[in-house]
Amino acid sequence: MLAAATNTNVKNTSYKVVLPFYLYAAFSFLAAAVLLFISTSTFSGHYFQPKILAITHTMALGWGTMIILGASHQLVPVLIESKLYSNTLAYISFILAAIGIPLLVYGFYIFDMGWPAQWGGCLVALAILAYLINIAVSIIKSKSENVHAIFVFTATAWLFFTVVLGLAQVHNFTANILPSDSLHYLTLHAHAGIVGWFLLLVLGIASRLIPMFLISKYNNAKLLWWIYTLINLAILVFIALFLYPGNRVLLFAPVILIFAALNLFIYYCLQAYKQRIRKQVDEQVKLSLLSVLMLLLPVLLLIIVIIFLISTTGEKLNLILTYGFLIFFGWITAIILGMTFKTLPFIVWNKMYHQRSGLGKTPNPKDLFNNNIFKSMAVAYIAGFIIFVIGILTGKDILLKSGAVLLLITALLYNQNVLKVILHKPKQA
Amino acid sequence: MSVITNNNIKSTIALGALQNVMDPEIGLNVVDLGLIYQLDFDEENKIVYCSMTLTTQFCPMGESITDGVKNALQSVFTGDTIMVELTFDPPWNHELISPEGKEFLNR
Repeated sequence: MLAAATNTNVKNTSYKVVLPFYLYAAFSFLAAAVLLFISTSTFSGHYFQPKILAITHTMALGWGTMIILGASHQLVPVLIESKLYSNTLAYISFILAAIGIPLLVYGFYIFDMGWPAQWGGCLVALAILAYLINIAVSIIKSKSENVHAIFVFTATAWLFFTVVLGLAQVHNFTANILPSDSLHYLTLHAHAGIVGWFLLLVLGIASRLIPMFLISKYNNAKLLWWIYTLINLAILVFIALFLYPGNRVLLFAPVILIFAALNLFIYYCLQAYKQRIRKQVDEQVKLSLLSVLMLLLPVLLLIIVIIFLISTTGEKLNLILTYGFLIFFGWITAIILGMTFKTLPFIVWNKMYHQRSGLGKTPNPKDLFNNNIFKSMAVAYIAGFIIFVIGILTGKDILLKSGAVLLLITALLYNQNVLKVILHKPKQA
Repeated sequence: MSVITNNNIKSTIALGALQNVMDPEIGLNVVDLGLIYQLDFDEENKIVYCSMTLTTQFCPMGESITDGVKNALQSVFTGDTIMVELTFDPPWNHELISPEGKEFLNR
């Protein structure tokens, strides 16, 4: 006979914490797509200009970071096999970021580095600090320290570094607090965010979720530690080269380290795919797997950018713009478009149906969103993305406008499906 | 893995009911997925004990699955107290999936 005491304590992070992040991110994606549509002409000029800064920060913070924060409040307990430390800190993160991001974006859009951008940046930094504390204490309190949790924690620390540096750059416009002008720090700020935050975090979570969704037998923590080391080494080498610039050929060193890490991660995904027990792979996981391959595009482009930088030609502005676009509208967007519908319907389903579970037929979580809308969204996205990239490279406004329209349609369809899931009401029996 | 029990007849009834409890992500029931480890029946005190696991600790769907197990057992053992214990010793692994479950996932 079993012991009389029962333990079904599997309480997860409340949906009330997670859903606002998803809603906010969906609206930010739409806002960024609208900004992109009305600003296509700026994509034939320099990358450091108000509208591009506004679009980039809407995508990086409002879209990418907000949805990752939301999803990770739900997924971190799975990674560390323990509860999230504090729902209150999660709410605080949301409120601070939700107010701070539009202020910051507005400041960039009108290029006024006064109070809106300064207060916006300050609120975003506090939001990330609250998240960092929440994740750190959750990991400390958990019994299981594993490679995935270390990925998440380190990524959050890099995010905090990125945000604090960004805040210093904003203040530097009015107070000269940095040794050089703000533009000088742009590459450091951007790469700490892209590689340290997005890449490290996405790989840390994906390395747990992809085998889980595929029901794969594959598990290789040693390989993940190698990937973790290579990525962090790449950032540290990049920082060293930034602080002590030498021969520009050395810039290839961090790129090679990242390239090696990505290839190891692709190998990891391939092994997980080969050793899967579940043969059918759904559209959402396929789109996420595609995003893993899409990671190689910006790296390859970066190699070309550095070649131009080393040669006498100097900076190729359209290549740098393409590089940024491949990251924010390419890789990050592809993974979010796929993973939203692998996580959000389950969160809502859990809220609606957990008490009715086992008592008769309930809809599947997959029934909560419209798969035809999802497929149309995926087609519009891939077409819009490719056309816009060709538009940047050729400088043709008609291609930029056409690509932007398709990306706007993508954002509208995404929002429609997200709202359909969030507003789902169970049919009365 | 076969389920450990102290009452084969009642266990068969329980397992029949538990086949209606699905893992919503995988689409497979908890019995074929190998999540049920033990079913014991205390006739005197009218208590049904179920020891089960999840595919991963802090599985986001864990609450629904354990609620589903309680609901399904309550539906066939009306009036009994249902006690569900979660264990991760041993942790779930792919070998616990039944041949029927493996066939379903192979489709």
